[in-house]
Amino acid sequence: MHDKGRITAYQMALMIYPTIYATAVLMVPEITGQYVGRDSWAAPILGSLNGFFTAYVLYKLHKMYPNESLIQYSKHIIGPFLSKILGLSYLFFFLFMCGFILKEYYFFIGISLLPKTPMIAIIGSVVIMASLAITGGVEVLGRASQLFIPIFILPIPIFTIMLLKDFDPKNVLPILEHGLLPVLQGAAAPQAWFSEVFLISMFLPFLKDPEKGLKWSFISVFAVMLSLVSLNLLTIFLFGEMTASYTFPVFKAVRFISLSDFFEHLEAGIITIWILGAYIKITVFYYALVLGNAQWLNLSDFKPIVLPFGLLISLFAIWEFANLQEQFEFSKFIFPFYVPFMLTVLPTILLIIAKIRTRNTMKKEPPRISNY
Amino acid sequence: MKIFELIGISILVFLILLLEWRKLYPNQKKEKIILVTLTGISLLVAILLLYFPEIPGPTQMISSLFFPLGRMLK
Repeated sequence: MHDKGRITAYQMALMIYPTIYATAVLMVPEITGQYVGRDSWAAPILGSLNGFFTAYVLYKLHKMYPNESLIQYSKHIIGPFLSKILGLSYLFFFLFMCGFILKEYYFFIGISLLPKTPMIAIIGSVVIMASLAITGGVEVLGRASQLFIPIFILPIPIFTIMLLKDFDPKNVLPILEHGLLPVLQGAAAPQAWFSEVFLISMFLPFLKDPEKGLKWSFISVFAVMLSLVSLNLLTIFLFGEMTASYTFPVFKAVRFISLSDFFEHLEAGIITIWILGAYIKITVFYYALVLGNAQWLNLSDFKPIVLPFGLLISLFAIWEFANLQEQFEFSKFIFPFYVPFMLTVLPTILLIIAKIRTRNTMKKEPPRISNY
Repeated sequence: MKIFELIGISILVFLILLLEWRKLYPNQKKEKIILVTLTGISLLVAILLLYFPEIPGPTQMISSLFFPLGRMLK
């Protein structure tokens, strides 16, 4: 065990919520809007099915091999050689995702708040903060999310109330005008984000109350689904079919708030709050990368490799996308296949193999004959 | 030639190496090897990106792998 810390299932749920939601709120309303138009509220409901499924598969795997993460127990299932390759592909995935999230973070902060700040300052500051939390271990992560995430969830109902007078609920009618097929296409992007609930695999071994792990993972997936549906509804009520033509429609909606000429320009506030969630998301993926690497190489401690990986993920962030449009195209066409392939399909195959193997070994054992 | 950026990156990598090296015990040989390899890779990527910022990266690799599936959504 590389980390002596212990967290509760509730803290884990608070970590998983921003892990899915923090960047989904930026991209998903726009992407689903392009496919589904005014029915985009239905896409996250379909997409969340994948989240529930992934959480269930990983919890089942965790039940078979408690105290180990996926990178460790894969060697019991598919042998040492294949598991090293699988582990390497997961480490590359985490590295890529860290860069992806950091770049998304940079684009959002750069476009909306700090247009003249160089990229390295925005990315470097958050990486240094994240590396400090990771050096403290999983317990610091849990406590940080317990502190930050309630503040991160709070704005959704508040801003909904502030926007109530501008709502036009008729925008949502007629429901499902073009049938279910566009909704299925629109659900492709949300289901990719929901499969990020995979990260529970890294945290389940650290739980004080592992029997509550599944319940709290389901609760956090459900909470993300509820938030995405309500935000999609909010943007449809405000903009109607126009939603898809805005970058970051949710923040456009917040910019729209104007109450008695006093509450205006609240976007600075909501970006500050959003940074809390994005910080937890970056930290969770970064932690998964560092811990996964220590487990893959059987290191005695993961702390010495935190800072070198910080440098590497910053470089990947600079490398990955040249502009927001490129990243958006990637999230629309490639992301919905790459992420669920790594986070849902491969664990499902592992679970099936593990089930077959345990059943075969049970058959091979000689039947117990009582001596009485 | 971008010589100042090169010196800056080298100092940063060296500082990280020094900072982490001091935390390790003398008997942690494997950790030391991995630490040096990781910082070496980072330095290599940094220099590569400094002189060829347009070089195809991981995004292009994954895009070419999953492109046939991505066409389904177009």
